[in-house]
Amino acid sequence: MRKLILATLAAAVPATMVLAQSAEDTVKARQGFFQLIGYEMGGLAAMAKGDVAYDAQTASAHAADLSTLTSLHVGDYFAPGTSNEDLPGKTRALPAIWEDSDGFMERVQALSAAVENMNGAAGEGLDALRPAMGQLGGACKACHDDFRARSF
Amino acid sequence: MAAAGDTQRQGAPSAVLWDPVVRVLHWALVIAFAAAWGLGKFGPDQMTLHFYAGYTVGAIVVLRVIWGFVGPHTARFASFVRGPSAIAAYARRLPERRPSHSWGHNPVGALFVVGVLVVLALQVTSGLLSDPEDYINVGPLAQYVSYEATQTALALHEPLSTVLLVMVLVHVAAIVFYKRWKGENLVTPMITGRRP
Repeated sequence: MRKLILATLAAAVPATMVLAQSAEDTVKARQGFFQLIGYEMGGLAAMAKGDVAYDAQTASAHAADLSTLTSLHVGDYFAPGTSNEDLPGKTRALPAIWEDSDGFMERVQALSAAVENMNGAAGEGLDALRPAMGQLGGACKACHDDFRARSF
Repeated sequence: MAAAGDTQRQGAPSAVLWDPVVRVLHWALVIAFAAAWGLGKFGPDQMTLHFYAGYTVGAIVVLRVIWGFVGPHTARFASFVRGPSAIAAYARRLPERRPSHSWGHNPVGALFVVGVLVVLALQVTSGLLSDPEDYINVGPLAQYVSYEATQTALALHEPLSTVLLVMVLVHVAAIVFYKRWKGENLVTPMITGRRP
C-alpha cells in the first residue's frame, strides 16, 4: 500500500509540474514578456518624441534591457495550443504564428536586429536614437500586422 | 436666394453646377484618400506619411461639412439631403436609359455623399485614437482615451478602410453607369464646374 502511495506521488509530482505550465500560464508569461518589452520601448519612445529629456545613460539602460529580453529563450512562451483560437478572449496571438513559423521567425529576427541597432545608437544622442526608434517600432508593427489580432 | 438664382440659371450653359470649393475638395480628397489608403496598406512601417495623408482627409471632411452649411446652393446639405420617399422615387427611375439632369446631387447620390462623409469621419477618428502598441505609429489622440478605446479604434480602422474602398468602387461604377447607360457625363462638371 505504502509503495502504491509513493508511486502515485512520484507520478503525480511531475504531472502537477506539467499542469502548472498550462496554456493560460504560457499566455500570461508571454504577455508579461511583451509588457516588459513595451515598458522599455515606452522609455525610449518618450525620449525620441521629446516628452522626456534625452539621457544617454537611461536610454542605454532601456536598450540593454531590450537586448536581455530578446535574448531570452522565448520558444516556450509560444508553445503550441496557445493561440487566440485555443484561448478566445485571453490572447491576441494569431494561429499564423504556428502556421507560418518561418514568416514569424523572420519578424523575430528583424526585432533582434533592430534591438542590436538600438544598442549601438541609444547612448549616442537623440539624432542617433530617433532612426533606431523608427526601425524598432517598425519591427513591432510589422509583426503585429500579421501575427496579432486587432482585438481580443 | 441662392436657390432661386441657381434654378433660373440651371439651363444656361454658363451656369455653375459645382462651385470651385466643392471641386477642389473633391479632387483633393481623391489624392489624399488614395495616399492614405495606399500608404496604410503598402507603405513603410514608420507611417508618418500615412498620418499626414489622414490629417489631410480629416481637414477635407471638416471643410466640406462646413461648406455644406455656408456654401452655394448645390453644395448645401439642405439642398440635396432628401427623405426616403424621394430616394425611393429616384431609385425607381434609375434604370431608365436617359440622363437624370439632376441639378446637384440626386437623392440617391446624396445618400452616398452623406454616407461617405460619415465613414470618412469615423475612419479619421479611429486612426487618431488607435494605438498599435509599436511606439511609433500611435494616434495623436490615443493618450487622451482609455486603453480599451485605443484598441477598439485599432480594430475598426482596417475594416473601415475596406468599407471605404468598396464605397469608392461603387462611386466610380455609378459614374460609368451614368455615362454608358444613361448617357450623362458627370466627370466634366466636377472638373470645369459646368455641364459639357
